[in-house]
Amino acid sequence: MAPAMIDPALFEELKTKIEEDTVVRKELDRIIDDLSQQVSFSQGVLSRIHSTPRSKYTILLPQVEDGIRKEIQCVGTLSSFASRNPYYKYNHKWVRTVQEAISTVLLCAWLGGLGSEARPGEVGRLMTLEEVGAVFAVPVNLKDRDAFHITIEDYLLALINIIDELSRLAMNSVTMGDNELAVLISSFVKDLHAGFQVLNLKNDILRKRVDSIKYAVKKVEDVVYDLSLRNLIPAKMDE
Amino acid sequence: MSGFKRDRQGNAKKHDGPKQSPKSIVRNAYTPMFEQLRDELDEHHDRRDRIGKASRDVTALSKKIIFSLQRVRKIEEQLPADIQTEIDLRLAEISKLLASIAPDVQAINRYRYSRSLVCLEELVEALTFLHYLKTQTLISHKELDPIVEDLTRKGAAKEDEVMTNAPDAAAPDPEQSTPAQETEALTISLTDDDYVYGLFDLTGEMMRFATTTSALTGKMASADFGEDESESRDIVQDMHDLGSFFEMLPLRSGNRIQWEKKLEVMRQSVQKVEKLGYDMKVRGSERPKGWVPDLSSNDQPGSPE
Repeated sequence: MAPAMIDPALFEELKTKIEEDTVVRKELDRIIDDLSQQVSFSQGVLSRIHSTPRSKYTILLPQVEDGIRKEIQCVGTLSSFASRNPYYKYNHKWVRTVQEAISTVLLCAWLGGLGSEARPGEVGRLMTLEEVGAVFAVPVNLKDRDAFHITIEDYLLALINIIDELSRLAMNSVTMGDNELAVLISSFVKDLHAGFQVLNLKNDILRKRVDSIKYAVKKVEDVVYDLSLRNLIPAKMDE
Repeated sequence: MSGFKRDRQGNAKKHDGPKQSPKSIVRNAYTPMFEQLRDELDEHHDRRDRIGKASRDVTALSKKIIFSLQRVRKIEEQLPADIQTEIDLRLAEISKLLASIAPDVQAINRYRYSRSLVCLEELVEALTFLHYLKTQTLISHKELDPIVEDLTRKGAAKEDEVMTNAPDAAAPDPEQSTPAQETEALTISLTDDDYVYGLFDLTGEMMRFATTTSALTGKMASADFGEDESESRDIVQDMHDLGSFFEMLPLRSGNRIQWEKKLEVMRQSVQKVEKLGYDMKVRGSERPKGWVPDLSSNDQPGSPE
């Protein structure tokens, strides 16, 4: 009898691989779902900055930090599970959620949260990629080995998220009578905008998002314009 | 053309306003950080470009191999010499291309650029088809891996030869930071997706092959398994086997849409071949034995090489 075209072992092997892949995906879905819940809680608390005067940040930020601590736990779980598989095989599943988690950390730190003994929190602080990695206790920009980490793209995209949020805060802080904060945000957003111009962007998601920064810049410029027109810019900040 | 403004005297004005000045960046506290990130991103973009370019060429070469293979008329261990030569030449080119990008797709970067490496699917299609035409069996992922690895290694070896012949020449690609390349040639591995999606495309090639050979030779393609004809199987059976093989595999949760699309195309190929088998059974007997359509001499089966 002529041998069969397909060796039965070949089928079994492939079937097992697909089944293993499905198990991994399901587990990732579960972990990412947990993370996503914590992230949206932190985002929810953070949304209160638009109605909370700066003097009350001391009450608000610890609540955000609580949320972030839970995010950190979830990212830890994700990191140890995801590191068992090639990073880029499944990273598309969690990038968005992880980027949003990074955004909550960046925003919280910018508002003066997440300070430490060595470095007390202060308004206007931009955490670097390395610092974000340290917060989540995961490596960043890995090249020499294949494990979970935060990529440069993750960091930059998360940064663009908080630019949007801050441009909104610029307006609302004026409503709350904190003109100084609006001016502070304006110069930060403009500096970052200039920073993003340094990058050589290709036609990808990063470029698309970077293009959107100009609207945030316009928004904060309008606010500052309104203020300067009426001589409302605090004297010590007036240029 | 209204590309420039004029002043009151009607003379063309030079570009005015700060907007027109060349993109000069005002440095601020964050500039150094962005410059560092830019360098990292540039490295990534360059790598992706290199891979993409090589990948397009490998795809084109793989398609050419498949075209050559479609000129084969019979399943047998020894391909016609001219076709074998063509394939060897193409494979040698593919070898070089794969070796050139091997350092870019090691370890963590293997999956990072898998979308730029779609050529491997095409290569799997060509190699599985080649294997089928020689043996009438399906090659496994495990058997295929060493073949692709070998291809990559050979390409690297050839580059080394060139280097030793011209010792004064600068080492190629100094920007590639892979000291390992000198000690041991790097290889490219196939992912499960490369293999499975390559197999899907194989069914299309088998369908085309079955159609041409049955039209030209008057019977369904089959390897010569010896004297007893009842023990041999033909391509209709193989297509059915392959069809059931895919149908029995669990649905892939990763890229469902692509998977189902491929599955549908595969089903159509199977049905086309079974229709051929039916036609051959019913009407094939009406043809005089040994009847061959009028063809150019090198297309005739069994023509002297």
